[in-house]
Amino acid sequence: MNVLLRNIVKVYEQFPALEIEEWSIKSGALWGLIGPNGAGKSTLSKIIGRLEAATAGEISYDGNPYTTQLQKEMTVVFQKPYLLRTTVWENIAYPLKIRGYGTKEIKNAVEDILYQMEIGPIMHQKSWTLSGGEAQKVALARALVFKPRLLILDEPTANIDPAAVAVMEKMIRRANEEAQITVLMVTHSLQQAKRLCKEVAFMHRGKIVEAGPTEQILYHPSSALTKKFVQGELLID
Amino acid sequence: MIGVNQVSQMWLGLKQALNLLFSLDQEVYKIIMLSLSVSLTATFISSIIGAPLGIFIGIKNFPFKRILVRLLYTMMSIPPVIAGLVVFLIISRKGPFGYLGLVYTPAAMIIAQSCLITPIIMGIVYNGTKERGSLIKALGKTLGASSGQAMLLLIRELRTNILSAVVTGYGRAVSEVGAVMIVGGNIKGHTRVMTTTIAMLQSMGDYSTAIAIGIVLLGISFLINSILYHFQQGA
Amino acid sequence: MKSWRRKGRVLTLVAVFVVIAVIGCTKPAVAPGHLAEQEKSGKEAGGSLIMATTTSTENSGLLTFLLPKFKEDTGIDVKVVAVGTGQALKLGEDGEADVLLVHAKSAEEDFVKAGHGLERFDVMYNDFVLIGPEEDPLQIKELAGRDIAAAFQRIYEEKGKFLSRGDDSGTHKAELKLWKEINVEPAGDWYFSVGRGMGEVIQMSDEVRGYSLSDRATYLSMRDKLDLDILVEGDSKLFNQYGVIAVNPNKNDKINKEGAQAFIEWILSEKGQNLIAEFGKVQYGQSLFIPNANK
Repeated sequence: MNVLLRNIVKVYEQFPALEIEEWSIKSGALWGLIGPNGAGKSTLSKIIGRLEAATAGEISYDGNPYTTQLQKEMTVVFQKPYLLRTTVWENIAYPLKIRGYGTKEIKNAVEDILYQMEIGPIMHQKSWTLSGGEAQKVALARALVFKPRLLILDEPTANIDPAAVAVMEKMIRRANEEAQITVLMVTHSLQQAKRLCKEVAFMHRGKIVEAGPTEQILYHPSSALTKKFVQGELLID
Repeated sequence: MIGVNQVSQMWLGLKQALNLLFSLDQEVYKIIMLSLSVSLTATFISSIIGAPLGIFIGIKNFPFKRILVRLLYTMMSIPPVIAGLVVFLIISRKGPFGYLGLVYTPAAMIIAQSCLITPIIMGIVYNGTKERGSLIKALGKTLGASSGQAMLLLIRELRTNILSAVVTGYGRAVSEVGAVMIVGGNIKGHTRVMTTTIAMLQSMGDYSTAIAIGIVLLGISFLINSILYHFQQGA
Repeated sequence: MKSWRRKGRVLTLVAVFVVIAVIGCTKPAVAPGHLAEQEKSGKEAGGSLIMATTTSTENSGLLTFLLPKFKEDTGIDVKVVAVGTGQALKLGEDGEADVLLVHAKSAEEDFVKAGHGLERFDVMYNDFVLIGPEEDPLQIKELAGRDIAAAFQRIYEEKGKFLSRGDDSGTHKAELKLWKEINVEPAGDWYFSVGRGMGEVIQMSDEVRGYSLSDRATYLSMRDKLDLDILVEGDSKLFNQYGVIAVNPNKNDKINKEGAQAFIEWILSEKGQNLIAEFGKVQYGQSLFIPNANK
């Protein structure tokens, strides 16, 4: 899905938290959104995912303004996912059920993703008995199972075990490469951005300072601020 | 000496409670059934009104919300006698709805109990929704739920909370005496329920039968709480 | 280890709760004794006395009128527990009260016979009246006149709404006696057994436009707020005798025997009797209680 942002402004109590002049996410891209804490990464991802409204500006999706119909084709995975108070299986089946899939289709799709994400053994467990890594994997499986065209991830691998991180990164890459899902991922880890993202955007104080291919931004940044950040001197602003 | 006497009253009450239950005394069963049906109906009405409103206040932001919530909390602890008195004044012969002839009927008791427990159910559901409601709503949106589906999702996710609100409301209704005494009048065979019977027996000095009915009431509460506990374990 | 320590903590908590519960439960049982204790310490000032009486003497205002004068004369402070006659007798039986002022003559005589009280004295009487809606749908006033039996017969035959105290009180017993006299078992859709005090029953009669038997004093004190009239009065069957009994001091050592004796002597004296006759004259233009101690 192509996403184009123009003149996005978000104001919190008269204090501008976000000012994006123009930013384009091309269909099939895998973007990383990096920057110090408080730069506005989460807010921007929520605005693109329509969970928050911008104070001003416009976002077009595939050249068209947002419609509620579009909501079914994009999704957001949070840093602390909310799992439904039922089994893992029911959590993953839920988006398919509300889309009116048949029992057999649901069974196939859920089983497939359970297998790919290596969470088959816990499929009958209740959601509140899961570890942090398991819960995060279930949340990602639930987002991928209905094959959205735009996947927004807000630090999905923060504070979870390395094995779970590896599986999740594998799944995100596969979704992007095999299913052509456009991905926008907020991350605090430069290593993760290097491993996973084709392009990254560096944010600072509500603005995108520079954006481009991962290699270029992380190794040859043109802005002094970006340089400071990638050298690890600007973690908290 | 006095203390011993009171304790023996309680023993007598316990024995009498068993006798009452197993003797198939028509009058006692009528009292128990009326208690249950009046309070169940009131709980049903209050849940239909209170639960959706509680969810609504929990997930929506609107002007004067904080004042409304404070008001709601106050209403949760309204003394039953006051609720009863207000309902009485409205439905009594000289009140605005006197022409309906509701006073001293089970319907009047249902109205009074509903007034009493609707805020309780609303308040508990609001509290549960306040914590998780917006999260659940956001999740519904990210997974592509329509607004109707999101509402269903909310209710399903908050079911334990709603259930405990309903049971709390029911418990309050069935154990309440002030309001039903005023609007029901404790008329034998018409509006006499367990709590008004206990109050009456106490005033007549028949402590052991009062305790016996009290034990029956306690038994019913125990049953209801066991059911709730069972559900909370399952969800 | 840890779980053991936790168990210990839980046990302590449980123990604390049990202790609190036990203290909480036993308190009410010793409370009357506690009051009696205060009495003894304040003996010079006259002490205090617990009187169990019917709601009618309290609600009518008679006690509020009499007791300050009793205190002036004797220094004794009377604490009034106003309940139904049934419960008042029960309180006496349990030794929770020192003196009883009630109105169910045969039950009172049984009480003394059973050894719960020392002796019973007539104090005064008031009378019951049949009250009903002022529009009087059954035309009781016209058709029955002074004859209470005829009035009851007519209510029964026409299935007029009748509200009964239904609480084992003196008034309730008097009412049941009247039904028995005309051989009627009062039950059915027309007969509302309420199980509440006189004031509430009068209020309910007003609300549902029904008939009821009330003591004159309670009715008069509420009259202004009601659309109810006295329909039958003056039948000798409607007289209601009050008696006073000192509770047998062998019940427990807290019973204020001297105070009870002083109260009985005072209320039966010429002064006490005159005060009873005086009560109500100013407000209602008639005596509510007629003294008839035979000393």
